[in-house]
Amino acid sequence: MFKKWSLVLSLVLAVSLLVSACSGNNNGNNAPAANTGTNQEAGTEQTEAPAEAVEGGIGLIKASDPSKNQQIALDRTDTLIVGMTEPQGLFNPIFGQTVYDRYVYEIVFDSLVEYGLDASIENSLADSVTVSEDGLTYTYKIKEGVTYSDGTPVKASDYLFVMKLLHDPAYDGPSDIHSAHIVGGQEYYDGKSDTISGINIISDTEFSVTVSEYNALTPMSLGGVYLLPEHYYGAGYKHGDLQSIKALLDKPLGSGQYILTDYKPGQEVVFVANENYFKGAPKVPNLIYKVTSSVTDIAMLQSGETDMNDFTISADNVETLVELGYLDVNVHLNNGYGYVAFNMENPKFSDKKVRQALTYGLNRADVVEGIYGPYAEVINIPQSKESWSATTEGINTYDFDTEKAKALLDEAGWVVGSDGIREKDGVKLEINFSATADNPVIDALIPIMTLNYEELGVKLIAETLEFNAIMEKKDRGDYEMFFAAWGLTPDPDNTIFITGGAQNDFGYSNPRVDELMAAGKKEIDIEKRKPIYHEMYQLINDDAPFIFLYQRTNGTASNARVDNLIYSPYKYFSASLYQTTLQQ
Amino acid sequence: MKQYIIRRLLQMIPTLIGISIIIFTLSAIIPGDFITAQDNPNMTAERAAQLRAIYGLDKPNYERYFTWAGNMIQGNFGDSLMHKKPVTDVIGTYVWNSFLIAIFSLIISWTLAIFVGIFSAKFQYSLFDKLVTLLVFLLMSLPSFFIGLLLIKVLALDLGWFPVGGMSSAGFKGTTFQYYMDVLEHSILPITVLTMLSIGSLSRYFRTSMLEVIRQDYIRTARAKGLSERVVIFKHAFRNAMLPAITLLGFELPGLFGGAMILEQIFAWPGIGKVYLGSINMRDYPFMLGFTIFLAALTLIGNFIADLLYGLADPRIRLK
Amino acid sequence: MPIKKKAQNRLKAADSPWRAAWSRFSRNKFALIAFIIIVLMFIICFIGPILSPYSLLDYDIKMKNSPPTTTHWLGTDKLGRDILLRVMLAGRISLIVGLIATVIAVFIGATIGAIAGFYGKWVDALFMRIADIFMALPTLPILIILGVVLSDFKVDPSQRIYFIMAIIGFLNWTSIARLVRGQILSLREQEFMQATVALGLRDSRKVFRHLLPNTVPIIIVTATLSVAGAILTESTLSFLGVGVVPPTASWGNMISAANNLVDLDKRPWLWIPPGLCVLITTVAINIMGDGLRDALDPKAKKN
Repeated sequence: MFKKWSLVLSLVLAVSLLVSACSGNNNGNNAPAANTGTNQEAGTEQTEAPAEAVEGGIGLIKASDPSKNQQIALDRTDTLIVGMTEPQGLFNPIFGQTVYDRYVYEIVFDSLVEYGLDASIENSLADSVTVSEDGLTYTYKIKEGVTYSDGTPVKASDYLFVMKLLHDPAYDGPSDIHSAHIVGGQEYYDGKSDTISGINIISDTEFSVTVSEYNALTPMSLGGVYLLPEHYYGAGYKHGDLQSIKALLDKPLGSGQYILTDYKPGQEVVFVANENYFKGAPKVPNLIYKVTSSVTDIAMLQSGETDMNDFTISADNVETLVELGYLDVNVHLNNGYGYVAFNMENPKFSDKKVRQALTYGLNRADVVEGIYGPYAEVINIPQSKESWSATTEGINTYDFDTEKAKALLDEAGWVVGSDGIREKDGVKLEINFSATADNPVIDALIPIMTLNYEELGVKLIAETLEFNAIMEKKDRGDYEMFFAAWGLTPDPDNTIFITGGAQNDFGYSNPRVDELMAAGKKEIDIEKRKPIYHEMYQLINDDAPFIFLYQRTNGTASNARVDNLIYSPYKYFSASLYQTTLQQ
Repeated sequence: MKQYIIRRLLQMIPTLIGISIIIFTLSAIIPGDFITAQDNPNMTAERAAQLRAIYGLDKPNYERYFTWAGNMIQGNFGDSLMHKKPVTDVIGTYVWNSFLIAIFSLIISWTLAIFVGIFSAKFQYSLFDKLVTLLVFLLMSLPSFFIGLLLIKVLALDLGWFPVGGMSSAGFKGTTFQYYMDVLEHSILPITVLTMLSIGSLSRYFRTSMLEVIRQDYIRTARAKGLSERVVIFKHAFRNAMLPAITLLGFELPGLFGGAMILEQIFAWPGIGKVYLGSINMRDYPFMLGFTIFLAALTLIGNFIADLLYGLADPRIRLK
Repeated sequence: MPIKKKAQNRLKAADSPWRAAWSRFSRNKFALIAFIIIVLMFIICFIGPILSPYSLLDYDIKMKNSPPTTTHWLGTDKLGRDILLRVMLAGRISLIVGLIATVIAVFIGATIGAIAGFYGKWVDALFMRIADIFMALPTLPILIILGVVLSDFKVDPSQRIYFIMAIIGFLNWTSIARLVRGQILSLREQEFMQATVALGLRDSRKVFRHLLPNTVPIIIVTATLSVAGAILTESTLSFLGVGVVPPTASWGNMISAANNLVDLDKRPWLWIPPGLCVLITTVAINIMGDGLRDALDPKAKKN
C-alpha cells in the first residue's frame, strides 16, 4: 500500500522537478524560443566592460573575492566544465530539439551565417553573401580551406545535401524549410525530382539558392543552415529514409570549434578543441558539458566541480551565489514573457473596455514582486525590452488603478448587482480562469487576482491544469481566460496577433495590425522595420488582447577564472566558446 | 504445481492484452500530443499535419492500436519520438543505472528492516521499540526530496564526504576498476535516501508479522521445550513471520527497473525514471507505452513468482 | 450490594468479543492519548482558523519570510501570509484526504482480498488478474486525464481534490488486497476454520467474523502507513493541476514549497510546523492502530 503511494508520489513530484528545469524548444535555424523552463537562454553580458554591479536587480555582479576560489577549480587550467540540464542526445542541427542539444551541435558544426549579439546577421562559414536585384537569389561563397574534423574539405555540395534532408518527406525535425519557399523544394519532397532545382552548385566553394518569394526571415532561413559532411551522413541516405542519419545522432562529425570525443547519456558530453578551426583554435583545450539538476547546479558551482551553470532566479539563489565571492553572477532578461489571455470570441471579453478594465484592476507589480522580487519586470507589449523592435513610446503602462477599472466596467454596461457581482443582460461577470500548474507565478497570481477582482465586482473561479492540457484547451478555443508563458523568437514576426494566424487561438483581429505585421515581414532593412513594429505594439498595447504580465530573468553564474564568456538573448555562449579563456 | 504454473502463464496473456488496451486508450485520451507538446511558436498548420502523418498520429485510434500491438508482439517497440532511437535502445541505455541503485537499496533496506522488525517485536514497548518507531515515522513524514536535499546539504556540501550529484566525476579518466569505484562513491547518497524511505514501511510490516507469530501457541511450545531464545526467534518465529514478506518482495520487482524518479532528478542520476517522466510530459507515445508495458509485464511476473513462492513456503497453502 | 453490581457489570461488558476489545483498548493509556490527539488535531484545524485574525487571501509582501513574532506566532511565508493559519487550514485538507484515500483503499482492498483468498479457484484468479491490471496502470497519465475531465465538467476547483483522492484510493486497493489474500490463504487451512465448517457457518460469517479479524494487524499497519503516504502524495498533485489551487494550503505542499537549500537551512519555520503535523498525525494513528490490534488479540501481553 505504502509502496503504491510512494510510487504515485515519486511519479507526480518528479514531474514538477522535471518540468521546472524544463527543456527549451528549438526550430533548427532560428535561435530558439524558450518554454516555461527556467534554465534557458543567455543574457546581455558584453565581453570586457562589466555592467554596473546591481544589488538585487538586473545586471552583472562580478566576483568580489576570487581568492576564495575552490582549489579543484583553480587546478583545472585546461578544462572548462559547463553544467546544464541533460541534452537529449540529438546532436545534429537538423534534429536537435532542446536548447541543450543546441549547445552541443553549435560547437560541433558551423552555419553559413549566424545571429550577432544584437540579432543582426553576421557571416560565419560564408565568406560573402550576395543577393540578386530581385531579392530572390542568394549566392554564398564558403571560406577557403575549411575542413571537417576528419580532414575532408567543406564543399558546396554539402549544403545541397542538407537541404535535401530538410525537404525529405520523412524528415521529422523541428525545422520547417518549406516556409523558405526554395524553388524545386516541393518537387523533391514529392519525389518527382532527385535534386532541388533552386540550388545551383557553381564550384566547390560557391553556390546559389533561388526562392519563389522572400521576406525578412529569408536570409536566416537560407544562411542559418549548418553544413553536414555528405560523405559521412549521406552514406546510407535514400529519399524517404533517414534512419542511417538518425543512427549517427550521438556521433556527430562537423567543422566546428570542438570535436565530440565521448558521450555518456544523462551524465556528460566530452569535447576536445579543434586545432584547425577556421576562426582560430579554441583557447580552452578541453570542454565538458556536465549534467546537473535544479539542486546540484548551485551546489556544484559552490564546490567548484563546474565552472558555469544557469540557475533559477530567486533572491535567495542570487544572494547565495554572490556571497561565495568567487562567482560572476549575471542576471539577464529572459527572452519570453508571461501573459493572461482572453478568449475574445466570448461576449464577456469582446469589448476592449472590459479587457482594459481587467488589466487596470490587477496589481501586476505585486504579483511580480511577490514571486521574483526585483528580478522580473512588468511588461506591456509582447516583446522583450532588449529587442530592436520594442518601444516604450505611446505605450500605456496600465498602472494598477481600481477606480479606473470600475469606471471602465460601468461604461461597458456591467453594473454591480445585489450580490456584489456585476451583471449585464442577465449574465454575471464570473470568469473561469485556468493556470498552468507548473509555473511558480500562480502562487501569487491566483490569490492576488481573486482579491483584486473581488473588489471590482468580478468573481474569479480559478483552476490549475497541466501545461499540455491548457495548450489543448487553447487550441480548441475552450476557455475564458488562462495564464501561460512562452518564449520569443529573435525576429518579431509571428502568427499570434494576425487575424486567423496559426497561433491565434484568441479570436483577436485588428486589420491595421495585420497590415503592419505583413509589411514588417516583407521589409528587409532593420531601420525601416522599426517604426512598423513600434506602431504595431502601440496598437496591441491599446487593444489589450492579453494582460501582459512579466518578463522574468535568467541567471548565469560562472567561476571567476573564466573570462570572455560572450552571450546575449540572441546568441548563445556556445557560439563563441572558442574565444573563452581560463585564467592560469 | 506444474498445472498451476501453466495456468498462470496462460492467464497472463489476456491480462497483458487488457492492460495494453487500457494504456493505449489512456494515451489516446490524454490531452495534447507530441506536436502540441513542443510548443513551437513557428509551427505552421501544414507542417503539423506533415509531422502527424509521419508519426501515424492522423490515423484512427483502433488502427494505431493494432499496428502498435502487432509490432509489440514481434518485439518491435517502435522508435521513441523524443530520442529518435528504438525504445528498447533507450530503455537499455538508462535502465541499468536505475537498477544499480535499486538493487543495493533493496538488499540493504530488507536486511536492516528484518533486524529492526525482529528486535522491535521481541522487545515490544521497550525504549528501543519506541525510539525506532519514532525514527521510522519521522522518515515517513518528510517527502523523499526533502530527505535527499538534507543529505546533499549536510553530507555533500557542508562536510564534503560525498560527491554532490551525478553518476561519475566529470571527464573521468582511469581504469575500469577505478571507474566502478567512482560510480560507487557517487551512488552512496542516492542509495542511502532510497533505503531510508523503504526501511520505514518494511520494518513496520516485519514487526507486526513477528508480533503475530510470537504470540502463537507453537512458540510457547518451543520455549517450553527448552529451546534457546535465539533458536525460537530465528528458526521458528522468523520463518513464519516472513510469509507476508514474500508478497512484498513480489511488489519490488517492477521497482527494480522502474527508476526512482524524484531521486534521479535531485541527484542528476541518469536513470530511466527521469526519461519516463520526460516522455509523459512530451507525449512521446512509443516510449510511454513501451515502458509501461515493460513495467506491467514485470508486475505480472513479480506477483506470479510471489504466489509461487508463497505456495512453496507455507505448506498449509494448497495452490489450486 | 455495590460489589455484586460491579461484578455483574463487568460480566456484561465482557459478553461480546468486540465489547471486550473496546474495554481493553480504553485501558491502554497510549492508545487513548493518541486518540485524543487526533481529535484535538481535527478540532484545531477546523475551529482554529475562525479564531485567527488573518484570512486565507491575506497577503503582505513587505512582511515576507519573517521568523515567528508576536503578531505571527509561526512566522510568515514568501508572500507574507501567516504560517499558523495556513497550517491549520492545511490540516483540514490533509486530514480529510488522507482519511478518504485510505478508507476507500482499505475497504475495497480488504474485501476483495478476503473474497479472493477465501473462495480461491476462479474467483481468486479473476480478482487477482484484475488487481494485476490495476497495478500496471500508469498513475501519472490517469491523473492528468482526470484533471482535464474534472475541468471539462466544470467541477468546482476547490472540491476537485476530494474527487482525486477518492480516485487515488480507488486505484490503490491492490496491495492491501494481495496482502490480505495471502494471509487468508494461510489461515483458511488452519484448524479453527475446519471447526467453522463443522459448525456449518455461513460463508460471510466465516469470512467476516473469523478470517478477517485475524488479518486486522496487517490491515492496520498498511492503513496507518498509507495515511502518511496519502497526505504527502496530495502535495505532489498540484504540479499536475489536480491538487489544491493556490492560495489553499495542504501540509504536503507547504513542505514542498520550502523545498530548496536556502529555506531548508535558514527558514525552518516554513517546513517544521507542517512536517511536525504530519509526523504527529502519523504517529498517533499508528499508536491507535497498535492499541486496536492489541485490543483485538486476546493473547496480547497486558502491561
